[in-house]
This record gives sequence, C-alpha cells and structure tokens, in this order.
Amino acid sequence: MANKVLMKGNEAIALAAVKGGVEAYFGYPITPQNEVSEYLSKYMFEQGRVFLQAESEVAAINMVYGAAASGKRVMTSSSSPGIALKQEGISYLAGSELPAVIVSVMRGGPGLGGIQPSQADYYQATRGGGNGDYHTIVFAPESIQETVDVMKEAFDVADYYRNPVMVLVDGLIGQMMEAVDFNRPVTKRFLPPKDWAAGGMNGHSGRNTICSLYLDPYELEAHNLKLQKKYQAAIQNETKFELVNMEDPDYVIVAYGTMARVVRSAIEILTKKKLNVGMIRPISVWPFPKAPFKAINRNCKGILVCEMSLGQMLDDVRIMNNGALPVGFFGRAGGIVPEPEEVVDAILHFEQRRVD
Amino acid sequence: MRRLTFLTGYFGSGKSEIAVNLAIQGKVRYLVDLDVINPYFRSREADVPLREAGVTVISSPLKDAIYADMPYLSKDVFKPFFDPSAQAIFDLGGNDLGATLLRQYRDLAAAEPVDLFLVTNIYRDDTSTPESLIALISSIETAGGIKITGLVNNANLLRDTTYEEVAAGEAVLTAVSAQTGLPIVYTCIPETIYDPAIPVAGTPLLLKLYLRKYWL
Repeated sequence: MANKVLMKGNEAIALAAVKGGVEAYFGYPITPQNEVSEYLSKYMFEQGRVFLQAESEVAAINMVYGAAASGKRVMTSSSSPGIALKQEGISYLAGSELPAVIVSVMRGGPGLGGIQPSQADYYQATRGGGNGDYHTIVFAPESIQETVDVMKEAFDVADYYRNPVMVLVDGLIGQMMEAVDFNRPVTKRFLPPKDWAAGGMNGHSGRNTICSLYLDPYELEAHNLKLQKKYQAAIQNETKFELVNMEDPDYVIVAYGTMARVVRSAIEILTKKKLNVGMIRPISVWPFPKAPFKAINRNCKGILVCEMSLGQMLDDVRIMNNGALPVGFFGRAGGIVPEPEEVVDAILHFEQRRVD
Repeated sequence: MRRLTFLTGYFGSGKSEIAVNLAIQGKVRYLVDLDVINPYFRSREADVPLREAGVTVISSPLKDAIYADMPYLSKDVFKPFFDPSAQAIFDLGGNDLGATLLRQYRDLAAAEPVDLFLVTNIYRDDTSTPESLIALISSIETAGGIKITGLVNNANLLRDTTYEEVAAGEAVLTAVSAQTGLPIVYTCIPETIYDPAIPVAGTPLLLKLYLRKYWL
C-alpha cells in the first residue's frame, strides 16, 4: 500500500491530467466538479503551465480550441449544464480535427436540475449536442483508480485520433474518496509530431490553417469520409469493457460507472440466492462494446440495463442485442443512487421490467 | 474532550465521519455541521443514525440542506454555547477556508475554552509530512483565530487500511507533537480491524463509516 494515496475523484482527475501531460486548462466553476479546477489551479501554477478560469463555459471550450490548435495538450472540465454549453465547441474541435480532453461530471437534470450524482448525460456524451457527423470518444470509468488510468491515457488517445476525448463520470466518483496509485502503467501510443499545428513556422514552409469550414460540398464530403475512417479505427482499437461472471449467466446486467459498483454488490446478493448473474461493463461508451453481446450464452433469460437515468444506454444495448434476448430496464433519476437491493429486486421481477 | 469540541483539518481528512462517530458514541446532544465547502459527504447526511442516537443535527435551515451546497447556516450554530448542560461536536469544512467559520465563535470561546482538534490523514497527498501538518496548523489557526488543542491520527486508505498505515500516521504525528507540544488525543481505527492488544497513541476511536455506503 506504500504507493497509494487517498484522493477525492476530482482531485485525482486533476493530478492525473498533470501526469498525462496537460499543458493548459480552461474552465468555469460548477458543482460537483469544482475540485478539478481548484486543484489544477495549484498544480498548473507549480508546474509553470496554463490555468485559466474563463468567463463562461462557451469561452472555455473555445480557448481549448485555440490552445489545441497551437499543438498543446489541453483540457476542460464541467458538469451537465456546463457541458451542454460546450457542445458547439466540441463539434468544432471534431470538425477541425483538434485533440482535447473534456471531463464531464454528471449531475441530475434536465435544465439546472440538481447537484446530486446522475448518469443522465449519456446521450449528451455519446450522441453529442453539436452539429454534424462527428463522434467524441467517451470513457466512463467506475472507480477513482480507473478514472486516473483513463485520464492519463485520454490525452494520448486524443492526440492519436486528433479528436476530442471525453471522460464521463458522475458526481459520486467526483466527490468520493478512494486509495489510488498514480504510477500504474497505461497504454502508450506512437504519436507523430504535430506538424499540423498553428504554433509558429518552426522551420516549415507554407501556412497551417485550422478550420472546419468547407464550402465545396465535395470537399466537405471527403472531409467527412476522412473523419469516418478515424471513427472506424477508434471502434476497432478503443473499445474497452469488463466482463464479470459471464461464463454461463442466467441473466446479464449492463451497467457503467457508479451504477456498475452497485451492480457488483447486487450480483453478490443474487449469488447467495443461487441466481447466476453476470455483468457487461462498458468502459468506453463510444465506441460501445459489441463483442460481449454476441458472446452471451443462448440459455440466458434476459438482459437488464441499469442506469442512473431513465434509459439512455438502453438504446445501445438494444442495438447490440438486435432482438436476440429479452431486454429489461431499471433506473433511478434526479440524483438518486440506487441501492444494490433495488437491482436484486429488478432481476427477481425481470418480466415486469421488460421493455420490449 | 471538552464540552464543546471542534474538528478541523485538511480537505478529506475524515472530519465528518469522525464527527458522526464521536457524536453517536459520546451520546452528545448536538452535532453542528459547519461545512460550507463540500456538496456531498457532509455530517448532516447521517441525520437518521444521529437522530436515533439522540443527537440533534444543526446545519442549515434550508429545506434541501442535505442536497444543496449553499454556504448558509442556521443561527442555532451558537446554541450549544448557551446550553451549558449539553455536549456538542462542531464539524468544520476543510483547510483554512473551512476554519474561517471559527471566527464567529472567538468571543464565546474566550469565555468558555473549547477543544479544537486537527484531524490528520498522512495518506492525503498534501499532509504526509510533519512540516506540511505544521504549516496546516498555522494556516488554520490564522484563519480561525482559535488555537488547536489536540491531534487526531486518522491515517487510512479507507477499506484498504491496516495497522501499518495507523502506525505510519502515528510516527508523523509524534514528530508534530514533539515540535508543537500538541497531544495525540485520538487514534482512529476501522472497527473491522480493531485489535485491543495493539497499543496506539491517545484514545482508540473505533470508526464505523456512516457517510459511505457499504457497497462503495
């Protein structure tokens, strides 16, 4: 245990970003993610890097665009309504092929909602509110250790694909504390120099222009097809998930983030009741894992999707299941974190939970 | 422990869990939650077990005080000073920012001395050394205007805690104690690993986690 420290999720996100090589942070305060900027203001100052509290979320994401265009490693963080404000900027980042890390710490919505933990921004993260045929690569860790590992890797993933990467957690992961080791190795990628950046001439001739404007529809279509190629590569290479007890389950639960923690305890209770229940836990929610759904044993009686929302990831599970097995849903909304016993009950009354 | 005891310390050092445990185990009349920093994991969230133990929680009069992060407290936060038969635990927010709320009690505390205990966890990255803790003591005393009277060793890695961590915390606090003259008043031990045969500095305080769900 000698290498471990006890950290709050938001603090750990900040420190992991520093270890992941973030060179500039732009953000605007919102609960429950304020400790991210609180701690980054200290760490970034100590390291001589850029920390700026912008005048709004819209300003912050556009500062991210500018700094990313100069070739620096950049991030921002916010919570639900704040991430909503950043959507235009995220679309522009994707369109201009700029790498950036966006941390989204979800709270209850819609509108101002509340400040308790939620997973109601799954659509916002995986579908995006920006315009155009674009995708954001989204990782949704379940523990502070996994958040740290994913954060450190996220900057590499963003640079590799020249695309925004989102780290999606709920307020509970942001606010709770856990023992964490910052020195665990993460996958490194070969990253070519950023010769596309608008960061001075640096010996090259010609001007690097960064924009998402293509007036010629044929050019714009070619640009879109190029982006799609990247997305296909991301689907191939960046899909992450964990399987729990998936050898021959009677039921399969699909859950991510904090909800998956609840489900782990529910599975233990169900095992004592002689029910064999497994879990598919997506870690990347875009790209959404496909393979584990194909591998589910045919004797399985059904798939229960559990979310701290009223059914958003449910769509992706239905797409991957493609009608093969009955699908049920259990969720709580508004900032309520369900107890494991509620999940146990949902499995025991699966037929009443069916949504198809 | 004096009749009126305040808990201060670094962010996330364990003040609120300790406040709830002290209040329930000591059967005190009041727990005053003065945390105006955190949105979650504040002692007011343990209102059910506290009420069952006969403890009155004083925090914010707002209807949604448990679910909101408004820096707005009840006027009753002074009440324990005027109820001389009652014991009370006061749970401050973290660091010097949380300790600024002590200022409002300075005159009252001059008339009736209070205890102000510094809760420490050396596994929080900013408070792992005697020097960092001594700097924290100084910043809290400057912000709050009340002197710290004792140290609490809460060295822990939550569910990963063993006596090894407890002992490492005690070694750091012994050095702080030698330099400041402040006694180690409590050593916190998760109730699940408590072994009465292992001696610790001060009174052992067996901790049950009230604010953290069992599945977390």
